[in-house]
Amino acid sequence: MENVVLAQSEETNEGNKNSKNETLSPLGKYEEGMPWNPVEKVILERRSTRAFKPEPLPDGMIHRILEAGRFAPSTGNTQPWKFIVVNSPEILTEMEKDAIKMAKFFMFFIDYTRGNILRRLYILSWVKWIIRFMKNELNPVPFALMSQIAQGKAPVFHGAPTLILMVEDKRGAGCPATDIGICGQNMILAAHSMGAGSCWFGTTKLLMYLPKWKKKFGIKYPYRLNDCIGFGWPSPKADGMVPRETQLVQWYEKGMNDAPRIKKQGE
Amino acid sequence: MKKFTLIDRLRIPTYDKLTHVQTADLYFNAKKCKRCGICVRVCPGGCIVTDKVTKNDLLQDMKKAVKCGMPHVDVLKTGATLCMACFCCGAACPQGAITIKRNFNPKYFYKRLTQTSDMTYPKKY
Ligand SMILES: Cc1cc2nc3c(=O)[nH]c(=O)nc-3n(C[C@H](O)[C@H](O)[C@H](O)COP(=O)(O)O)c2cc1C
Repeated sequence: MENVVLAQSEETNEGNKNSKNETLSPLGKYEEGMPWNPVEKVILERRSTRAFKPEPLPDGMIHRILEAGRFAPSTGNTQPWKFIVVNSPEILTEMEKDAIKMAKFFMFFIDYTRGNILRRLYILSWVKWIIRFMKNELNPVPFALMSQIAQGKAPVFHGAPTLILMVEDKRGAGCPATDIGICGQNMILAAHSMGAGSCWFGTTKLLMYLPKWKKKFGIKYPYRLNDCIGFGWPSPKADGMVPRETQLVQWYEKGMNDAPRIKKQGE
Repeated sequence: MKKFTLIDRLRIPTYDKLTHVQTADLYFNAKKCKRCGICVRVCPGGCIVTDKVTKNDLLQDMKKAVKCGMPHVDVLKTGATLCMACFCCGAACPQGAITIKRNFNPKYFYKRLTQTSDMTYPKKY
């Protein structure tokens, strides 16, 4: 086990409580150590919401969220996105069911963390090659999530009453996936600034192995669907600050031949 | 800054071995905890459970959370947890009863190179 030092002790974990009467800094200004401004507050307190009230956001609010996406920056202003809003409880239930089915199907073959020792040894003899080949999809975290989904211990879309599918146009300039990420995060920040909750769902990709859903949503060339975002009223309230790992950042401040200074961001 | 060696690059960790993937862990303060079940309900992977309820139970009906008992992180046979230190439970907990005991830190192929093991709240520079 690696040495883990937590700067957060039991007494100081009040950091995650949002105080009601905190003062905020005005926009368009910086002074050292000043309080957060409203934009920073939304960015830092945004948490992925994974428990929603059953009723969807009002249509006006969804339009307003989409507006934040429409005005996101994109390489060469290509706007390589297509939005699909899914509000229908019937379709959402069907999507959830099929995504669970797909997770079960895949995990039956590759989940070595379950079952007896023979199954484990057999799967381990070849699964790491598959992981190498699909290093992003089968990274430890999504792997564990799919295992939990397949065991019926976790949902896929967490009961979100509205999904906005972020469809990517593969012909976008530069790297369209980056544009999709920016566009989605724009919408998420807009939503949280209005008191809504949201969560990215990369597990949407599971549905893309089923021709049924590709056909339904019209996902064919030049389109690709990797992620969607769930929106709704959080229940319980999810937003609040959390601790994250400090980052070692290289600062190049001197000449061409000088080594960068490494500063610990967040310490 | 950590180095990513050829061995690291070639070796895919075994996900449920703590020596290959250091999974995160949480501490629940039994004195502050009111057993409301909120952390169980918000956990991304259904990894926080109590002896009586799981996430899927509470997504259907929050009333099941009454007297559901003390939450804890689900532990696999191998000793690994499934927690990845997102701390959404901590952000949602009305009592501030949850703290992170250790961060998520995979080794070998997925080794993190610039993150440290210290975790801090946002800092006002
Ligand atoms: C592209 C993308 C896909 C994601 N997919 C999922 C998902 O399938 N299920 C889930 O519960 N969370 C998903 N998340 C949310 C992350 O788990 C979450 O952002 C991370 O744990 C950090 O927590 P925070 O958003 O509360 O800060 C996804 C996030 C991103 C950016």
